Amino acid sequence: MRNSRFLLPPVLLWLSLFLVIPMLIVVGISFLSRDTLGRVVFEFNLEGYRTFFDPLYLGIYWDTLVLSLLTTVICLLVSYPLAYYIANASPRVQTWGLVLITIPFWINFLIRTYAWVLLLRTQGVVNSALLWLGWIDEPIQMLYTYGAVLMGMVYNFIPFMVLPIYVALEQMDKRLLDAASDLGASRWKAFLHVTLPQSKSGIMTGAVLVYVSTSGMFVVTDILGGAKSTMISNIIQTQFLGARNWPFGAALSVIFVVTSLILILLFNRAMQARHQRVGEGRA
Amino acid sequence: MKRRGWTRLLAAGLVGVLSVGLLAGCGSEKETLHIYSWADNFDPEVLKDFEEKFDVKVTYDNYANNEDLLAKINAGGSGYDLIQPSDYMVKTMIESDLLEPLDMNNIPNFENISDTFKDPSYDPGNQYSIVYTTGVTGIAYNTKYIQDEINSWEDLWNPEYKGKVLLLDDNREVIGLALKKLGKSNSTTDEAEITAAVEELKTLLPNVLAFDTDSIKQKMMQEEGWIASVWSGDAAFIAAENPDVAYVVPEEGATIFSDNYAIPKGAKNKELAEKFINFMLEPEVSAKNFEYIGYSNPNTKAMEFHSEDYRNNTMINLTDEELARTEWLDNVGEALQLYDRLWSELKSGR
Repeated sequence: MRNSRFLLPPVLLWLSLFLVIPMLIVVGISFLSRDTLGRVVFEFNLEGYRTFFDPLYLGIYWDTLVLSLLTTVICLLVSYPLAYYIANASPRVQTWGLVLITIPFWINFLIRTYAWVLLLRTQGVVNSALLWLGWIDEPIQMLYTYGAVLMGMVYNFIPFMVLPIYVALEQMDKRLLDAASDLGASRWKAFLHVTLPQSKSGIMTGAVLVYVSTSGMFVVTDILGGAKSTMISNIIQTQFLGARNWPFGAALSVIFVVTSLILILLFNRAMQARHQRVGEGRA
Repeated sequence: MKRRGWTRLLAAGLVGVLSVGLLAGCGSEKETLHIYSWADNFDPEVLKDFEEKFDVKVTYDNYANNEDLLAKINAGGSGYDLIQPSDYMVKTMIESDLLEPLDMNNIPNFENISDTFKDPSYDPGNQYSIVYTTGVTGIAYNTKYIQDEINSWEDLWNPEYKGKVLLLDDNREVIGLALKKLGKSNSTTDEAEITAAVEELKTLLPNVLAFDTDSIKQKMMQEEGWIASVWSGDAAFIAAENPDVAYVVPEEGATIFSDNYAIPKGAKNKELAEKFINFMLEPEVSAKNFEYIGYSNPNTKAMEFHSEDYRNNTMINLTDEELARTEWLDNVGEALQLYDRLWSELKSGR
């Protein structure tokens, strides 16, 4: 289309106004100082970056990384079989499967998370049912634990993993599997050497989406974790509000974005390297 | 009233959507009072009464906490005429030159306010603010599970309440209660005292079920927790739903707080805002309003118009002895960074 270049400026304008410029402001503030009342002062200062290397904040960052990676891995393990099933099902089942996976998006994220509170609390649905069945004598403390937080994260982000993997599997040329089978590969071998490498782009997209969303999440730890574990985003939020230390909050944000980008790049590299090896092996 | 939370944000969103709808349908040139306050902080009928009596319009936007309020007013050009900062935030805003001095000639009903709440430490001489409601952070506990007599912060540390204690998710409040337990000021800037208080709180962690400001009420009503640090007004709210819940102001002392009327610098309708404050302090109006919101009313003249239930509620109306052992939170200046850091340390279990 000859006129298609006119479609670009609105997006560029939007992105620069609402993403690039705000990010630059954050970067700018991260190098400034604050006064006692919490106002940003135009004075060069690296205190925010220095404070990050305090073992306390490094530790909290480590906790965030662990929780995010754990969530990503569990999401992948749960989602792959599901996406595989849907991608190989009849068109009718495919449609229904996709609708069922997207339905939760129609409901506000907070409401979905609060629904888990109703299920898991001491007088909640699960405990009441177990008590009624006589399987337990007193309610189990499920809410406000690390497990509840992890569960909440996995629950919320599974669709982010299923959909990209589904797309990758669905676009795969199924004749490749027939070829593999003709050449004597077992179904498992065919999966390992044909299906899995072909779905790599889906896994990569899904993993990045889940990882980035989880590591930036602070509501789930508050609602399902009873605010007992702290993620780096909780700290960033408090710096901008309660602690009134914008330069530190901005520095944390910059570090957070940069390290996430590095991790994603490394991950991409690793996946591509593996892809090439597998490719060579096959050739 | 420092209740905040996601429910409030949702409510604020709804209010926003509704008011846009209303504005779109209304092209009149009436004088308009723009209020920025906590959600559910007024009886809507009282606001309507004001609109009719003065032939004006009232808009009412919500914020979820003092820091949001500060950020908005700090940014300038908010267009609000009346705000309701809490005690320490009044002081911060005065120091940052964000408030207009009040013209008391327009607010003769200021006289109706109890002497206890006039001339507060955070705004000597009531130059910039007038108290709206007050409360005390004390202990709420469920008598169904707790038969012991509760009268001290020490009781939260009772090993029998393992995993059943709820705390506000607020560093000044919680470190403040530990400071009170140790017999110190809740607003100390002494590093050793603050550190000692946080070390004390670390020994409380095994008992802590959750930190929560937004929905600590629900957690107490539904008996998730047995015992909690809560605001007296919230305790009244909990007890109305769950009569087993009792409330006490601990003997070591506690933190008192208030929400206030104030006018942001550069407000376009300053005089109308003052008329509004005066209207809200009319004894009958005041009683009607506080019957609805269920918080403590510092308006002495309004008492005779209040219901029996309201007047006899010991969580709404604290005694002079209880108030005598309370202390306002004061700004702690640079020590706020230490409070914040130790609070992160406590919550991340390090």
